[in-house]
Amino acid sequence: MKQNTFYLLLGLIGLLEVGLFGISVLLKNPLIITAGFIMGIGLLYIARMTITDLKEDERSTMITQKAGFRTLEVFWVLFFAVSLGSAVIGFSTPLGLPHPKNMPPDFPRDEPHLGYFGIIQMILLCCIAFLYIGFRVYYARKYGEWDSDEE
Amino acid sequence: MHENMGSGIQMKNKIKVYRAMHDMTQEALAQQIGVTRQTILAIEKGKYDPSLELAFKIATFFGVTIEEIFVYDEMKSP
Repeated sequence: MKQNTFYLLLGLIGLLEVGLFGISVLLKNPLIITAGFIMGIGLLYIARMTITDLKEDERSTMITQKAGFRTLEVFWVLFFAVSLGSAVIGFSTPLGLPHPKNMPPDFPRDEPHLGYFGIIQMILLCCIAFLYIGFRVYYARKYGEWDSDEE
Repeated sequence: MHENMGSGIQMKNKIKVYRAMHDMTQEALAQQIGVTRQTILAIEKGKYDPSLELAFKIATFFGVTIEEIFVYDEMKSP
């Protein structure tokens, strides 16, 4: 498979995932998008292994590794901070059964936060992507990816 | 070896000289030793220090020892 064909496949799978997400919301079934996403990513990994004109060497591998490491280094702090905030909300609700009666109307309720936390996680994942791209550009520039030829 | 080390130590190389002696372009050398042209350019400019394996490949390709192409230069701090 050519690299450009892979990018085309990537776009198609992306569109398919958006469609699956819509169907999941309509049918109120999270399993559809969860299973669909895992299968989509699996398919992309398999397709990537078949690329024949991939131009990678030790320098590009090092750039990828450094960018990945830096992204993880920054991201875990951000993710942990948001998770701690969410845990506070979780622990603010009554624990255990039976469900307490006569709760005040402004008492924190856990149920809706699970869904909202999913959205926050997705926003954070988007942050990872931008962070990774930023670090990748930084290291690619540092190791001469866009240097001009002096020949 | 992968990146330039700090504290006044620098790897210098004569790849450009040897390339000129063999009348080779960066692209041709890159294809011969199995890396991208940008990697050859980055090594020549001193932005990236190759692995020992790649250094051996380059030296072997030109038929010389590593020391003849790569120079470990410890600069004196001011």
